[in-house]
Amino acid sequence: MDPWVILRRCGTAVLASALILAANVAWAAENEVTIMHYFTADIGGAGLHPIFDKFKKETGITVVDSPIGHEDYKTGILVRAAGNSLPDIFSEWAGARTQFVVDTGKLEPLDALWAAQKLDSVVAKPVAASATIYNGKRYLIPIGYHYAAVFYNAKVLKDAGVTTTPKTWDEFVSMCKTLKGKGVTPFALGTKNRWPGQFWFDYLLLRTAGPEYRAKLVAGKASYTDPEVKKAMALWKDIVDAGFFGENSNADDWTDAADKVAKGQAAMTLMGTWITGYWTQNGLKAVEDYDFFDFPTVDPSVPRVAVGPVDGFVISAKGKNLEGAEKLATLIISDVDLQINWAKTQGALSPNVNVPTSAYTPVMERAKESVATAAAFNFNYDLANPPSVADVGLNMFAKFMGGTNDINALLEETQKEAADAFKK
Amino acid sequence: MATRENFWRFALLAAPVSVFAVFVLWPMFDSFRYSLTDWNGFDDSPRFVGLENFRRIFTDPLFFNSLINTAIWMGAALAVPTIGGLALALLLDSRVRGARIFKSIFYLPICLASVVVGQIWIWIFQPDWGLLNEAIRSAGHLSPKQFHWAWLAEPRTALACVILAWSWQQTGLNMVIFLAGLTSIPSELLEAAAIDNVPDWKKTLYIVLPMLRPATAVAVALSMIGALKTFDILYIMTGGGPFHSSDTLALFMYNESFQKYKMGYGSSISVVLFLICVVIIVAYFRQVGKLGEIYD
Repeated sequence: MDPWVILRRCGTAVLASALILAANVAWAAENEVTIMHYFTADIGGAGLHPIFDKFKKETGITVVDSPIGHEDYKTGILVRAAGNSLPDIFSEWAGARTQFVVDTGKLEPLDALWAAQKLDSVVAKPVAASATIYNGKRYLIPIGYHYAAVFYNAKVLKDAGVTTTPKTWDEFVSMCKTLKGKGVTPFALGTKNRWPGQFWFDYLLLRTAGPEYRAKLVAGKASYTDPEVKKAMALWKDIVDAGFFGENSNADDWTDAADKVAKGQAAMTLMGTWITGYWTQNGLKAVEDYDFFDFPTVDPSVPRVAVGPVDGFVISAKGKNLEGAEKLATLIISDVDLQINWAKTQGALSPNVNVPTSAYTPVMERAKESVATAAAFNFNYDLANPPSVADVGLNMFAKFMGGTNDINALLEETQKEAADAFKK
Repeated sequence: MATRENFWRFALLAAPVSVFAVFVLWPMFDSFRYSLTDWNGFDDSPRFVGLENFRRIFTDPLFFNSLINTAIWMGAALAVPTIGGLALALLLDSRVRGARIFKSIFYLPICLASVVVGQIWIWIFQPDWGLLNEAIRSAGHLSPKQFHWAWLAEPRTALACVILAWSWQQTGLNMVIFLAGLTSIPSELLEAAAIDNVPDWKKTLYIVLPMLRPATAVAVALSMIGALKTFDILYIMTGGGPFHSSDTLALFMYNESFQKYKMGYGSSISVVLFLICVVIIVAYFRQVGKLGEIYD
């Protein structure tokens, strides 16, 4: 057969296939919403699948799901963006990470959606103010928020004779000494993935220098060699040197630390409220097995600030199904039953003001109260800083927990790297 | 007829060449392009910055740290899996009972995904209940409180541990390469040596090893290339930590690009890595060619 005939026939087949594929893609775009998020495994599925199922029932639109592990998500979403293939809707942490994406122009502003769905009456005002507005416009729909606090094994404290939880730094140190005296490791900390260390830095800095100073530091307008930072780090070093932390923090991740507390190998861990979702899944009961207390006051003249992340969803400006994505985002935040389920399965607090307090365990109810009565809510370190600067800080915390003795040298090195990172 | 042959020649080559061009050449040239910009992975129009990224590389202590770690890894890759594979091949090439079973056992690790190998060795190195610390505590009658070295969390041992895990996997592959090389040694040479009562060690040194030159070239090349591009096992086991102590060029490039969102800078690191690879491989094969001339 003439080779050109073969070529012509192949070309016709390829063209026909391309046309059929294009038609399918167009149909799929209308009847699908693509979503990418970091809520993985059984915990994530338990929160999101009911949302997707209800969405499909109400709208007939299928949600095409792409879950990626928490830390890998930061890479995964970048790969999608670099390939100009962002999903219709994707999760982001409120704060500097969302600001970063907003500044690239890849997100759809949601002011019209917010007004049309009257979300001002749905979303708690502090969360709406701090987490959803960037460059003067709304870009993020919050799904839940967390509060970082000292979570403890109730039985371990009881057996050690600790009957009250500390409110001040001196009471806190005294309690840790009591636990150590009874042969109990006061704190488990898992800094293998670096980020759990940030809560210690955040709270020690916020409780001594206050939120205005911290705002300057995360904006690059203060230095890691300032006396305020040195004071916070000195307090941290005091309790590390006192032996209040378990060995080899850098060998454990946060779930290892949580397991140690659950098994009574350590008494406490400073972690976000998602730990309650993890513990509940592992059969522990609120109050009976675990509870929490707010990070203690260090300087009574400094206002109490709550620290934690806000999880949310943003919508791609060039997604294939903008209308579908907006409908999904509205359902996620507005449906009270879905928000209650989300809060229960994730150990999260709902930003929906219509979720009753009875939906929470007593522990989560008090966590919500702690946030509501705080002077301010700050995103944790790695969400308050731009990604490149956050990396520098997280390395510092891990190095510190790895046994650095020269704090001044560590802070000088961190300041140099942070200054470079802010410049670029 | 010649036209028809040429047509089919080009037609059949078109597909693989196209795939190579699309998936290798195009991304390669795109990387070169992005290395001259400050692209963060999200911007549609990255800003051209010329050679700024390359200037930054040569003043970045983390780059030199990862370069040194990569050199250490290459040195270890030349030594451990190559010598280990050769030793195993020499041992198992003899009529040892059960040699076939041992060959299969030693080859098994290369059949595992690197991620799986990494996870296995994470458990072995676990400080509280890992196999290594349990064995050391057992041998020294030590309690967990007395010995709980965190192999992967200690900067002094993290890189060596990952190299060990990688070498464990690579040794079997090199063993197979050397076994294949051993079968190509003419038996008359060894028989002649036996007749002359040449000791075994001299046979190995003066006959076997020189005749294994082609196999050695392949094993060393594969080990070097593997060492230069290793990423997955390192990512799984330490992520380049703790504190960049196990960072290699490949992982450094990944972290700068995807963790810090500095795709332009990461691309420039990839260009430097590419040039290093080209220099090493060209120099290596030139040297192998020279040795071949000597032996020929």
